[in-house]
Parts: sequence; C-alpha cells; structure tokens
Amino acid sequence: MRVLVIEDDRATGDYIQKGLLEAGHVVDLARTGKDGLFLALNEQFDVIVTDRMLPGPDGLAILRALRTSGIRTPVLVLTALGDVDHRVEGLDAGADDYLGKPFAFSELRARLDALYRRPAAKAEATLLRVADVEMDLLKRTVKRAGKPVELLPTEFRLLEYMMRHPGQVLTRTMLLEQVWDFNFDPNTNVVDVHVSRVRRKLDQAIGATEATPPLIRTLRGAGYALGQDD
Amino acid sequence: MIELPRLLPRSFALRAALAAAGIVLAVCMLGFGFGYVRAQAALEQQIDLAVRAEAESFITDFEAHGVAGLLEAVAMHARRQSGTRVMLQTLGGQQRAGSVPGAPPALRGYATLHPPQGGSWRAIGAVLPGGLNLIVAANLAATDRTAAALAGTLPVAGAVAGIAALALGFLTARRLEHRLRGVRAAAEEVMAGDLTRRLPSAGTGDEFDQLTATINTMLARIEDLVRDLRQVTDNIAHDLRSPLSRLRQKLEAAQAAARNPAADAQTLAEASAELDAVLATFASLLRIARAEAGLRTTAPTLLDLSALATGMAETFTAVAEEQGQHLLASITPGLSLKGDAALLRQALANLIENAMLHGGPGVTIRLGLSQLNGTTHLQVADNGPGIPPEEFSKVTRRFYRLDRSRSTPGTGLGLALVAAVAQLHGATLLLSDAAPGLSVTLVFPPGA
Repeated sequence: MRVLVIEDDRATGDYIQKGLLEAGHVVDLARTGKDGLFLALNEQFDVIVTDRMLPGPDGLAILRALRTSGIRTPVLVLTALGDVDHRVEGLDAGADDYLGKPFAFSELRARLDALYRRPAAKAEATLLRVADVEMDLLKRTVKRAGKPVELLPTEFRLLEYMMRHPGQVLTRTMLLEQVWDFNFDPNTNVVDVHVSRVRRKLDQAIGATEATPPLIRTLRGAGYALGQDD
Repeated sequence: MIELPRLLPRSFALRAALAAAGIVLAVCMLGFGFGYVRAQAALEQQIDLAVRAEAESFITDFEAHGVAGLLEAVAMHARRQSGTRVMLQTLGGQQRAGSVPGAPPALRGYATLHPPQGGSWRAIGAVLPGGLNLIVAANLAATDRTAAALAGTLPVAGAVAGIAALALGFLTARRLEHRLRGVRAAAEEVMAGDLTRRLPSAGTGDEFDQLTATINTMLARIEDLVRDLRQVTDNIAHDLRSPLSRLRQKLEAAQAAARNPAADAQTLAEASAELDAVLATFASLLRIARAEAGLRTTAPTLLDLSALATGMAETFTAVAEEQGQHLLASITPGLSLKGDAALLRQALANLIENAMLHGGPGVTIRLGLSQLNGTTHLQVADNGPGIPPEEFSKVTRRFYRLDRSRSTPGTGLGLALVAAVAQLHGATLLLSDAAPGLSVTLVFPPGA
C-alpha cells in the first residue's frame, strides 16, 4: 500500500519509513505539516500517518482540512501525549485511529493494515462468515460447521471484532480498545484469557484435535489473527 | 515611567500621625470658628436686650412724668457715666438732653454706630409722642475684647490638640509597624526556605492575631503539601531510577560481552520490557495527576454503572478462574451516575487486579454494586490477607507499598488512581477490614 507519513521528529520518521519499506509498502515522508497537507491533498494514498504536534498546521488541522476537502483516506494520528482525552479529540476530528508514542512497530503495522483493509462503510452486515464460522448479529448466535457455539457477551464481542478483520494481525492493545473499551494496560492477561476461551469453545464445537489447523492463530510478540492470512 | 519626588514620608507611622494631626486641626478650626461666630452673636444679642430694657425704662419715666420727667432722667443718667449712653433729640436731630456719639437723626430700631471719634456702639431708637427721639446706646468695646480674647485662645487649644493627635497617631502606628515587622520577618524566613517558621502572635486575640492564625494555618498546609510533593518526587526518582539503572547495567554488560546473537536478542527483549514498565509508570502518574487536577478524559455523561460493573465482572471472572481464583458479582441493575466511564473502568480494574495480585491463590473476590439511602456503593472485597488498619490511610499514596508486597509486580499506583478517580467523582473511598481480607468501597453521593 502507499503510505504518507507526516512526522517532524527525524528519528521517528525514519524509523516508520524504514519499517514500512521493509514490509513492502511505498512510503512518502513529509517533515512539516505544510508539506504533508500538500501531499495529502494532491496525491493518492491508501493510509496517512500523521504526528499530532507538527510545525505549521498540526495533525488535527491537517485532518480537518482533508475531511473538508472530501478526502476520506484513513488517517492514523500519532501523539506523544497519548492520553485518552486526546484520543477522543482526535477521533472526533475525523481520525480513524490513534496511537500514543512510544509504540511498538508491530502495533503501528497492525493498525495500518486494519485501516487499509477496513471494509468500506457499507450497510451493516447482519451475517458474518469466516472459514466455517458463522455469526448472526441479529440473533446473537454463533455456529461453527453448523454446530451452535455458546459465547458470553464479551466473548461474542471479541469474536465479532475478529471476524470483521479476518486474517489481520490484531494486537492486544487493539483488542483492549475495541472490545473492552480499556485505554490502559491491565496487569492481568485479560485478552489472552478471553481469546483462549473463545478458541476453546470454537474448537469444542467441531471436536478439533491437535492436528486441526487453528482458527485463531497466536502471533508471538504481535497478537492474534483469525483465519488464514489472505 | 518617571518617579515623582516623594512628598510624603514612607513610614506608615509618620504618615498616620500626620494624617491624624491634620484631621484634628481641621476639626478644631471648624469647631472653634463656629463657636467664635456663635459666641459673638450671643454677646450682641445680650447687648441688644440690655439697650432695649434701658430704653423701655426711660419710656416708662416718660409715660409717668411726661417730657420734663424724661429730660430729668436722661440728664441724671448722663451724669452717672455708666456703660450706656442716652440721648433725647428732636426728630430734626436737635439734641435736647444727654448724648450718644454719632447718633443719626430720627433713629428707629437697632443700629450699630461708628462715630468719627472711634469706638463702636450698639443703639436702639424710639420715637415718642411730641416729636422726641429717644436713643439708648451701649459701648461695644467690652464685647469686642471678649471676642478678641476668645479668638486668641482658640489657636492655642487647636495647636495643643494637634500635637496630641500627632503623638497619639505616631505611637499607635509605631505599634502597628512593630507588629507588621515581626510578620514580615517571619514571612521572609518562610520565603528563604524555612517552611516550619510561623508568624508571631501577640496573644491578645485581636484582628491581628486572627490574621496571623489564618496565615499560620495556610503555612502549615503549604508545609504539608511540599512535604507530600517531596515524598512523591523522591518516590518517583526511586521507582524510575531503579529500572533505568538496571537497564543501563544490562546494556553496559552486553556491550562489554562478546557479540552473540542469541544473548543479544535476550538482552534487547529484557531491555524493552524494562522500558515498558517505566513507560507504564509514567502513564499512570500522568493519569493520576490529570484526575487529581479535575481533568476528565471525556465530558461527564450519564453512564450505566450497573452495565459497566457487569462487563468488568464478566471480563475478570474469566481471568480469575484461569488463575484458580473466584470472582462473585452482586450487581443491582439500573444504577447510573454522571461520570467518566474510562476512568471508572480503570479504577475498578485496578481494585479487582489488586485483589487478585495480593489475595493469593484461591482467593474469592466479591464485586458489589448497590444503592443505600440514595448513595451508590461500588465495592470490591476479598478474603485474602488484607492490610493492617493502620495502613489504610497510607496505601492510597502514590508508590506506597506494603513491605510484604515489595516483591510482587505492580507500580504502587493502583490505589492512588482509584483515590483520584473517587475524588473526581465526588465519591468517598472507604477501606475496611473484610475479616479476613480487604474491602474497598467507593461511595457516590446521591445525584452524582
């Protein structure tokens, strides 16, 4: 994908650029808000990453300018402030995601992938299907290979989010934010516990064995992914 | 800006004394002036009455004995050389008996006469039947002397009063200045860094003592705050320096060692973990500071506390079970309050995770939400080892950790955040002995 990175901090900008290049993406790096806005308005990008604090127009000003010009490119805002209220402010301004510095590169990459692959805002589907799992959002039921799977509300929300992003890397922080609405890191392994419960229930439905390829894969140091990478 | 030359002394005592003396002098002058005018008017009135009485007695003589009798009486009076003079003249101004210096012809009623030979006289004239004009006059010299004497004493009295006011004002102001100097000296010592210094009190309980008592209370509060701040700063320094020092040693050792991909990878992973812990501590501190400063992460909205607690219970029930612990929830449905959902969620997570971490294996945690007399009680209790009651007030401090929990993971900031969130929501944070175990309750006021 083609990514525009607007970041005035040289080290951070180079770090993001290098990482994304290595991942096989095309990267344009702008060092000031002015350059960034110019590029964003005049060229096509799949995803834009912008720092919140920039010389010239800052991240939120760029965001507003883009949205007023009718450019709907997904934008991820980076900030050293990293606090929730800034997060809310950023999302209100039209950001699609928000990431506090410092961050792990794997976290940024997973979030950019999620933004890039995010389905266009089509009418809410009422039936989600990934591999042999079927989720009915109206009846709140889940079936695997036609067999019912009983899930608790939190587990249901977790699986729903994973099914909406099949094959993508979902980090623990992403899951905490999206499924639990936690904007802090709990001291206990909340995500792992619930993922393993959902996985167990899905596996029990078809009497899976060690040999069955896992539906929910654990990616060491990164997070989880549902289904095969596509 | 151009500094104008000072017309007034800088000393408060001198200025106060001068002002007092000035006011006393002004009041004296006004009072004495008014008295002088009134006294003179009274004297003149008395003379008017005297000449009128005299004139009336002559008219009685006239009515009794006719013109001859009157002439006789006037002549007799003239010979007596008293303070008053009498004259009888025709309406044409021809003198018949006695004399009044400078008398005009045909005088009727009162008049003040200023004869060419000097002096001044107060006269009354009456026209009698037969074309005679009777004039009685009194010398004003005596009255003028009295007025002059009065006028002479007034400035002296005024001067004495002024000097007295000056002295009194100066003394009072000096006393005031003296006390202020004590206050200033003490305040300067406080500014110089001696926060234990207090302002002197005269022990009289007057307004000054009340003021110094108030300021002393304020100083005590500042001293407490500064001590707390120092404590926190020390703790932050300690809690952040330890992992950073460890990190530095680790990197130094790795640098010195021979390059080995496996060992280096291990070192880097450990270094990242160490840094993450430091960053987490920073984030917690920031969040507590923001909550304490009354800064919410979102605008307070009416939120369903029951739903929030139910969600948290479900999430952590699974976590507890996985660790061989139990979480039992008893949540009254339909309870809501105005607040910050993100912060309340974190506070509740901190309480539940604290209970898991410190309660030990097999601990049972109870999460309760109920309403009692309009107040909303959000409670997390465990049956673990609990904490000694004397530690209750300390555990909500930042970085405070019980000795026995120093080795367990955690930043020592969990309860401090809960306390800050409680404060932000106007809630009371109650710690109690669950016998056994610890019970922490957030009591939200009615209508919160």
